[in-house]
Amino acid sequence: MSFLLKFKSLEEKREIPSDNYTIKDLLDELELSAQTIVSKQNGELVIEDTVIEDDDEIQLVQIIYGG
Amino acid sequence: MQCSKCGNPKVIYKRQQSGQLLCKDCFIESIEKKAIKTIRKEKLLDKGDKVLVALSGGKDSVTTLEILNTFREMNVIDICAVTVDEGIANYRQDGVDIAIRHAERLGIEHRVVSLKEEYGITLDEIMQRENHKGSCTYCGVFRRTIINKAAREMGATKIATGHNLDDEVQAIMMNYLEGNTDNLTKLGAKTESKAEKFTVKIKPLREIPEREIGLYVVAKELEVHFDSCPYAMQSFRGEVSEVINQLAEKHPTIKYSTLRGYDKIKEGLKKEFKKEYSHGRCSRCGEPSANDLCKACSFLEELGL
Repeated sequence: MSFLLKFKSLEEKREIPSDNYTIKDLLDELELSAQTIVSKQNGELVIEDTVIEDDDEIQLVQIIYGG
Repeated sequence: MQCSKCGNPKVIYKRQQSGQLLCKDCFIESIEKKAIKTIRKEKLLDKGDKVLVALSGGKDSVTTLEILNTFREMNVIDICAVTVDEGIANYRQDGVDIAIRHAERLGIEHRVVSLKEEYGITLDEIMQRENHKGSCTYCGVFRRTIINKAAREMGATKIATGHNLDDEVQAIMMNYLEGNTDNLTKLGAKTESKAEKFTVKIKPLREIPEREIGLYVVAKELEVHFDSCPYAMQSFRGEVSEVINQLAEKHPTIKYSTLRGYDKIKEGLKKEFKKEYSHGRCSRCGEPSANDLCKACSFLEELGL
């Protein structure tokens, strides 16, 4: 079970490590703050509690930068 | 899970402070309503105003333009825009291009003014000088001067900036922590002055959190410049912002309560601490200045320009 992660110039296939693995879990793993990111699942905006499914395309858009 | 307003199961946002769930359309509507409420409550616009939007091409200024344009479409106001090109390699041009495309899309009068044309030097060149005062110091002062001047030249009656809730709360806390009572009297939705050449400044987004503005532009598919200024560094503002954001995780209403508290004491602060500056003009450029030279011209003299 895997999904495609798109973040800035990064595009990589990642394994879904556990059941009910959410976008929030992914953000924690990538050490990204949910406050600075909006997430899209298969092209549609979703909240961070969304569970990532097999073959999903997850795009993370950084909307807040420091400074 | 479904939208608290219309029942749509496609929820895109959960408001931490209220637990409200919103779908895309209801979220977009809530942001636009909030800004319009601020505009009405604070009387930011008068019929017939020509509002100059300080348009960097970033999320806050593009949202300001988008929302004010609804008043333009109703023939309440006219809009023009200015974009300041500070001369920052590999950063600013993208924002300038985006600003140009938005102005063309809406058919509004738009100027791009560069520091190079205006003062003969770019921010990158200033940063090559020894003993400079830090990029943000020059950038803030030169940008403000260029925007004020453009407002007068383009016949604008108001200047709209994209300051959001996070910006306002940071400014309140920074000035309080620094004991800067003079600056504390100047914050707010509308900044006015008795100085003849001063154009009123308005902040229609001041009650909207930065994150919601970011989500708004993505939800509305507005083209914006999402990037970090290469000169962004560990500033005092950054430190204050970090503390406020940490507090907001456990206390999600803290930014709103800080703003509300400030708004309640502002009149008292003004009464007690507002300084009466002389409304003179800079002897070098003629811009409004409390001193012989305005801040921009004193920096130019220091830089030997």
